[in-house]
Amino acid sequence: MNLKSLFLTILLFTSFFSIAQHAIEGRVTADDSNEPLIGATIVEAGTSNGTITDIDGGFSLTVGSDQASIVVTYVGYEEQTILINGLTNLDVILIENSTLLDQIVVVGYGVQKKSDLTGAVSSLKGEEIARIPTPNFAQAIQGKIAGVYASPPSGKPGESAVIRIRGTGTLNNSNPLYVIDGMITYDADFLNPQDIESVEVLKDASASAIYGSRGANGVIIITTKSGSAKKDGEITFSAFSGQQEAARFISLLDASEFARAYNQFKNKNFYSNPDSLGVGTDWQREVLTTAQMYNAQLGISGGSSSMTYSLSGNYFKQEGILKNTDYARATLRLNTQFKVNNWLTIGNNAAYSNSKSHNGPNVVTSAYRMPSVLSVRDTLGNFTDPTFFGLAVGNPAADQFYKSNNYSKGNSLLGNLFGEISFLKHFKFRSNYGYDINSADSKYFEPIFKVSSSQLNNNDRLSVSKGGNNNWIWEQSLTYLNSWGKHNVTGLVGYTAEERTSESLGASRENFPGTADELLYLSSGNDTTQMNFGGASAEALNSYLFRTNYSYDSKYLVTVSMRIDQSSRFTEANRTGYFPSIGLGWNLGSENFFQSIKQLDKLKVRASYGILGNQAISNRYPTSAIVNGGLYAVLGTGESINQGATILSLSNPDLKWESSKQTDIGVEISLFGGKFTSEIDWYRRNTYDIIADVPIPDYVGSQNDPFVNTASVINKGWDITLGWRESGKITYSFGANISPISNEVTKLAQGKTEIFSSFINGEPATRTVVGLPIGAFYGYQTDGLFQSAEEIAAGPSIGNEKPGDLKFVDTNLDDIIDGEDRVYLGSPIPTLTYGFNASVEYKGIDVIVDFLGVTGNKVFNEKETFRFGVYNWEKHVADAWTPENTNTEEPRVTNGGNNYRVSDHFIEDGSFFRLRNISLGYTVPAKLISRIKVKDLRFYISGTNLWTKQTFSGYTPEFPNAGSSFSVGFDRGNYPIAKSIQFGLNTKF
Amino acid sequence: MKIIIYISTLVFLFASCSKDFLDRKPLGQLTADTFFQTAEQAEQSVNAIYANFRSWEFCGLPYLGATDIISDDADKGSSENDGLFLRQIDEFNFDPTNEVFSATWRGHYNTIARANQSIVNIPNVDMDAEYRNRLEGEARFLRAFCYFRMVQWFGELPIIDRQLKEEEYFTQTRNSVQEVYDFIERDLLFSIKHLPLKSKYASNDLGRATRGAAQGILAKLYLLQNKNIEALTLCEDVINSVQYDLIPQYNLIFTQANENGIESIFEIGAVALQAAVVGSGATPFNMVQGVRGNPNLGWGFNRPSDDLVATYEPGDPRRQATIIYVGEVLPDGVTIVQDNPEVFNERFNQKAWVPSHAGLQDNGPGNIRLLRYADVLLLAAEAANETTQSTKALKYLNMVRARARGTNTFILKDITTTDQSLLRQAIRKERRVELGMEQHRWFDLHRWGIQAEVMEKLGKPFVSNKHELMPLPQTEIDLADGFLIQNKGY
Repeated sequence: MNLKSLFLTILLFTSFFSIAQHAIEGRVTADDSNEPLIGATIVEAGTSNGTITDIDGGFSLTVGSDQASIVVTYVGYEEQTILINGLTNLDVILIENSTLLDQIVVVGYGVQKKSDLTGAVSSLKGEEIARIPTPNFAQAIQGKIAGVYASPPSGKPGESAVIRIRGTGTLNNSNPLYVIDGMITYDADFLNPQDIESVEVLKDASASAIYGSRGANGVIIITTKSGSAKKDGEITFSAFSGQQEAARFISLLDASEFARAYNQFKNKNFYSNPDSLGVGTDWQREVLTTAQMYNAQLGISGGSSSMTYSLSGNYFKQEGILKNTDYARATLRLNTQFKVNNWLTIGNNAAYSNSKSHNGPNVVTSAYRMPSVLSVRDTLGNFTDPTFFGLAVGNPAADQFYKSNNYSKGNSLLGNLFGEISFLKHFKFRSNYGYDINSADSKYFEPIFKVSSSQLNNNDRLSVSKGGNNNWIWEQSLTYLNSWGKHNVTGLVGYTAEERTSESLGASRENFPGTADELLYLSSGNDTTQMNFGGASAEALNSYLFRTNYSYDSKYLVTVSMRIDQSSRFTEANRTGYFPSIGLGWNLGSENFFQSIKQLDKLKVRASYGILGNQAISNRYPTSAIVNGGLYAVLGTGESINQGATILSLSNPDLKWESSKQTDIGVEISLFGGKFTSEIDWYRRNTYDIIADVPIPDYVGSQNDPFVNTASVINKGWDITLGWRESGKITYSFGANISPISNEVTKLAQGKTEIFSSFINGEPATRTVVGLPIGAFYGYQTDGLFQSAEEIAAGPSIGNEKPGDLKFVDTNLDDIIDGEDRVYLGSPIPTLTYGFNASVEYKGIDVIVDFLGVTGNKVFNEKETFRFGVYNWEKHVADAWTPENTNTEEPRVTNGGNNYRVSDHFIEDGSFFRLRNISLGYTVPAKLISRIKVKDLRFYISGTNLWTKQTFSGYTPEFPNAGSSFSVGFDRGNYPIAKSIQFGLNTKF
Repeated sequence: MKIIIYISTLVFLFASCSKDFLDRKPLGQLTADTFFQTAEQAEQSVNAIYANFRSWEFCGLPYLGATDIISDDADKGSSENDGLFLRQIDEFNFDPTNEVFSATWRGHYNTIARANQSIVNIPNVDMDAEYRNRLEGEARFLRAFCYFRMVQWFGELPIIDRQLKEEEYFTQTRNSVQEVYDFIERDLLFSIKHLPLKSKYASNDLGRATRGAAQGILAKLYLLQNKNIEALTLCEDVINSVQYDLIPQYNLIFTQANENGIESIFEIGAVALQAAVVGSGATPFNMVQGVRGNPNLGWGFNRPSDDLVATYEPGDPRRQATIIYVGEVLPDGVTIVQDNPEVFNERFNQKAWVPSHAGLQDNGPGNIRLLRYADVLLLAAEAANETTQSTKALKYLNMVRARARGTNTFILKDITTTDQSLLRQAIRKERRVELGMEQHRWFDLHRWGIQAEVMEKLGKPFVSNKHELMPLPQTEIDLADGFLIQNKGY
């Protein structure tokens, strides 16, 4: 298809000539809240000429004469008819006519009334986010939206959390797409949560197909706060401060237990008196600490009929619970909008943020491994050398001491500029330029030190690096909006171009004249030791958008959309992807036969189907075979290095879009005057041509696994949201969201029947096969322990077993234990995620609780399997099998060998149920504070992650940095999560 | 209406440049499309093959595990609990998941892939024909070297001679040992034809593969196939090429002064550059075998075994030149090795010792010696004896002994027996002491077919018809399920 000509044809067809008679403009606001009403319909009486209000409640319309009347309608409000009588500027105040306020939701490239939606869209308002202090976006939405799962940030300050919408749809990157004020990004960490006006999660094809090749994992649209044209501006101030500590510690052997286990392992009394050693060193508590967190926010917003503004400043600082780590972020945001005249509106949203972090070394894993018999420092005050046990790890306290001069700084400017032209009554042209420019600098100095022969630095070295991204999007869209009689039509066509570039630069020198801060710049290092490196990459995307919404009598709804994406990531032959969708809705509740049921406020059914894509693989050039340099040959009498370069890794020029067919059927219901609301969706996502870097045999000789279109996966499930809210003297609410999900591989490409991954001690720990979830655990089943040599001899055994070793199950009953006996050992993907929240408010006192949980998943305790040297053991080893202690599940103490094969011995239940937040607030009565010009004042105390029920032995069964979907659910020594208590206040002037 | 025209024009402008906008090449990097265009790139691709010979898989613990430690030359070494996978190797209780197998397999096939890039693409590069053939000859030599090691370790192998296509990734089967031998032979014959003699290389190319190196390796391959006449011919070509000689003092062979010296036929260059560029010219070879304790030069793996110590004739200076003992003064002439209580009865490989150098321990500057003249002399002796030319065999054998003895006429008397069997024993013993701790022993035992006999005598739980070959890595068996068949007994 020739896209260009198609597009032009559409543009030309949709244009026709008309004569303007009388232009009016104005705003529609609600009487109770004074808030703008977005999406209110304004129709010239007796005609089909009309418009809807924009995000600020504003509208402009050209009517037949200056004596025409307009009819203003908005669901949940009383209709108003207004005679224009020559006026050009009208402010309309609508009066609420029921408790049923129809929500306006932001959808891709526009807004829609919730009742008109055919897609599955969940919304969260800014107020819900602002009530509970959270340092970042992911935590703000955690457990709040059905079908959206946000793992907590790792506890490392400033680190990204993982968000999954309707489970893991793909083998590679399952992160949703973020659209922040129209700018497309891949994370929202830099965002100050208090700047958020609303969050919309687009979950099905009807809603997200307009984002085409990047919508397959769902889309999160974040709209930041803008001002409103009230009489007076508004000033808000909020602040909180809190303290965090590790929510949980791992149970490890104390010194005397370690000594006993070590004696058993060595089969001799290496420690003659283990009891005398006491508890020894608790290495986790040596490297972790309690940490502070502060936040302060000032916002000023307001406006007039011709302009609105919102200005906010925020400072946030979080110390890490791991010593020598912290993160601080200052954000300044200015959102403005100007109504230049009755046909032109321009505006901008811009956020500048500056962050600094202190990146002490991650010693969580080495703290886990350090035997508790070792002290932090020896009697002379030097750091203890742990090499005595053949440890391949350094003393973590020494690492924290010597390797913490590591800082990074970031600057980010993200925003958009737009202009909107209304013309020919029904048309609106919008041009939007979005930008995301960020840079990061880092600086690391490592002094000369020596703890042991493997933990030392002979040459002091300063390494600096600078990197930056420059991303832009330019969107042109034309909207046609018309209604006549009971017909309502909205049409959208658009074109967007987008480019993303990255560049980095780094350098280092050694031999500095001192370690004072003022000397730690490259210029004072020895220039004969200098090194530098750099890199760059870029990608581009061209897209064409089409969407039509049609509704009849606000009862029968149809949405049809199509996005055509062309990506630079693929070769020309596979570059273009077509992503269509259709959605149907029926507002059953508006039908006559339901009108008699008084209790029923709303009942809607909807269904959608569409195809979405995914191209979010880590490599921007998956179709190019890169030549790697720096592979030096040392030659010649002078032993000089000679540049070597060759093709080390494989590429796949045939790579094409990964696609996903999504079906969704939903019901929305509201009862008893809006007290009870519920939304239930069933969905099925069939993702095919999944792009993944499937492990290939080593004989191929590639140093990477190339990306291939490899498999199909079906995710099926339900998103169920239930809510009850009753207002009055006591206002209380209860909400639940429940998402059962199943994940099943339906096809593997390349003629493969299985994909092995996550190799541990030479064996795969996951096997992906048709009929089971992606990355399902795979290994030996155990059945207790061998109690005697006779029992081993009676077999079957795998070889080299000794009494007290794990007994593997001969699953295929061939009397031999070998690789053929490995079986499915559970799935890392939860079968159910859920959240509950409840709130009660009485006389200004409010209590909010928020729970979340998952169940049905398994976790592989990989950190326990890695023993390159004698590390500390987990607590259960204290009960290890010995000839005297035979009534135990715990194998004899070993440090490798059969007991460390991939087996269910290391697989644990990953279910948990957590009190994510509990808060108690007090709102000071208005009459007490109005004299000091304060409109609103609330104090609160809030606790996060205070209680968790889990059986998993590690810090948490949630792993933020999953990486590949073939290896989800592995605890490789993850950072602990923090629990915290905060005090804060919110106020408004 | 005007506005529509403006918009249309704008859209048209965008859409019309979309092809350029969407055609993106990797930035700052050559790609397969732009490589192999010039002679310089052809040479760089060959340099990249040499580079992998300095990798962990080629000179770190996996390599030493699969050569010295698995043989009777050495024990695991280091402290008791360090590197337990090597203890499994030493004690023959390993299984196919041991990383020695996966690392050696991966490392060698990665190197083979680099060689394949050069061998397939260099013939199409527009450049001087002689230079082009030399580069291809180097690549073929290096590929043959890898396959030769691999076939001795693993037996049957999938022969990969090009970049596999996607549909071929999982379906390779093992070629017979004879097919692998023939493949190696073809590569080496090409190299012999096109590679220059050592002296014909420019001084800045010293260290590249030579005709002599190809002949030496092919001689070993022929000996392995009992083609003793052909082997002897090749060895004598090397001997008569006037390119090589024995360094008069045995204990100076492994000094840095004698890197690429007169005795060297093939070695991989290594150099310790400033610490900031660690790894770019260095190897982990010296570190993993370095003295552990005081002085602390490394990890102390690969301990020369009691059995090796006992093999030297009384007074043989090669024992002292091969092994570092506690209390010994290091070759730097100053440092005395102290006892380290965490290592039991420690000894270290002196041939991997290097003087202090730039950077950390892992910045090892010692060249990896892979073939030296004494080795070829002993191969010649072996081939001559097997073809009942005892005079010749004795001549070459005694050249090696004479050098070892130096000026001390009381030791290492000339061998005189002409009995084929006795002479065979003498040559085998001579190879062991001359080449001790140089990673040849396991391959020699393999060639002679006496692995079981030797290892059983040491009381190792060696299983005949199993442990002669290493198992294929379990990961590889799992990935190429049904196509790669595991070795017998595993």
